[in-house]
Amino acid sequence: MACVLGIDVGSGYSKAVVLEDGKLRSCAVIPSGGDYREAGTKAAAEALDRAGITLTDIKRTVAAGYGGNMVDFADDTSTDISCHATGIHYLFPSARTVIDVGAQYSRAIRVDDEGRVGNFIMNEKCAGGSGKFLQVAARILHINIADIGELSLKAERPVKFTTGCAVFAESEAVSRISEGAAPADILAGIHNAMASKVVILAMRVGLDPDYVMTGGGAMDIGLVNSVGAELGAKLFVPDHPQITAALGAALIAWEQSKK
Amino acid sequence: MDYFAGVDIGSTMTKVVIVSGRIESSLIGPTGPEHRKLANRVMEEALGQARLSFDDLTYIVATGYGRINVPFADRQITEITCHAKGLQSLLPSVKTVIDVGGQDSKGIKILNGKVMNFVMNDKCAAGTGRFLEIIADSLGVPLDKIGEISLTAEKIAPVSSTCTVFAEAEIISRLATGEPIANLIAGIHDAVATRIASMVKKLNVEPDIAVTGGGAKNIGLVKALGSKFGRELLVPPEPLITGALGAALMGKDIYEKYAAEGQKPTRIGKKLEEATFFK
Repeated sequence: MACVLGIDVGSGYSKAVVLEDGKLRSCAVIPSGGDYREAGTKAAAEALDRAGITLTDIKRTVAAGYGGNMVDFADDTSTDISCHATGIHYLFPSARTVIDVGAQYSRAIRVDDEGRVGNFIMNEKCAGGSGKFLQVAARILHINIADIGELSLKAERPVKFTTGCAVFAESEAVSRISEGAAPADILAGIHNAMASKVVILAMRVGLDPDYVMTGGGAMDIGLVNSVGAELGAKLFVPDHPQITAALGAALIAWEQSKK
Repeated sequence: MDYFAGVDIGSTMTKVVIVSGRIESSLIGPTGPEHRKLANRVMEEALGQARLSFDDLTYIVATGYGRINVPFADRQITEITCHAKGLQSLLPSVKTVIDVGGQDSKGIKILNGKVMNFVMNDKCAAGTGRFLEIIADSLGVPLDKIGEISLTAEKIAPVSSTCTVFAEAEIISRLATGEPIANLIAGIHDAVATRIASMVKKLNVEPDIAVTGGGAKNIGLVKALGSKFGRELLVPPEPLITGALGAALMGKDIYEKYAAEGQKPTRIGKKLEEATFFK
């Protein structure tokens, strides 16, 4: 048995993946909180626990993400973009454009037929297309962020937002609610506003099928549908959309461990 | 005596000005979700202040982003046009206006009270009053105090985020590291000023430069903007009412133009009555 560990410390969540002989053995996703060093350790501990092994059984560890360089027990670090590309290529070898909607940032990545990063754009200037937008929606509607997707599917007349700004959308949503708009219609409108933001990112890296959506945003079925509609193309979503970069980090660790 | 009213429904504040030969009354109230109801109420108060009744008004012009929601107005005119007009009467030497509103910011080039060119941001909360409102809120400081507080800053704590959402998180984490609030507010003013200045500089900026809107009531922001343009900026005595004043004066112009031809403009708005979205 040869096990490796991949860790992705994101701004919202930390993820860890254990591979055994290059195959997924276990994974864990935990909120990052304020301490990235601890978040990476905790995610790793949980994934190891689920695999029934300890850190001493791990041949090699690669860390990535916002707080990746704080994981002091990692043998190596990699950028979350290349980890993403590696993870996506493993899951969907035909993927060429990846749309990743994270807690604070959204980005678009072009991947080639060998899983290398062709080009990427990250939107770090604006919360418009990021998970922050969904957090705002959940807060003003007093619902759980995990329930947004299902609820949005009940929309009959999605609200048209005039803004892509998360701050202005909040006041706009409050005004629409006071006029009697249904929560489902508000959420569907927010999904559409986010979709147009992230598809613009994807257009800037160059649209090329197949398309894959990852990150916490890909767990929101309403958002996935909106992005697919905006793209006018089929959008693939991994079974565990949050762990793509951690999986990629683990795959990189696996390749390195063979040398 | 002929009286003219201007109603400016902004995203955050509703303003009413009544003029004859001079400003008879001016009133500022918050904009609620139901614009029409509120415009009616602010107008009633402004009339009360001027000791006038609705029938004493000769012509009413509505402006601002909620201008179509003023059923008793005779005409709607954009806030950019009204701003230029209002500013010319307040500060005739001004050629460039920076208006920092609750949910947008604008740069307007004016010549003889007319709009030559303008730039506007209403797409992103950065560089608008909303940005300052959110930051003041997360610092636990009243919005109307941040100007003064920023003047006590020992240095400007640079804020690297553009987005309001990210800046809020940045400010909170900087507070945790012990950065004094005054320095952070100075940093926020500098960030807002940088953003507005880069937009306004797309115009051929000529002095004098004036600041209007709610942002002009923030001395820290006015100073920060001044440093970006390398000169002192002018501020009207009541910077919020510029648009409403301009609207009232536009109404006066319209009326006088007709009067010169021996005619009267058709009045559309008839009654000062409440209207709601739900009717």
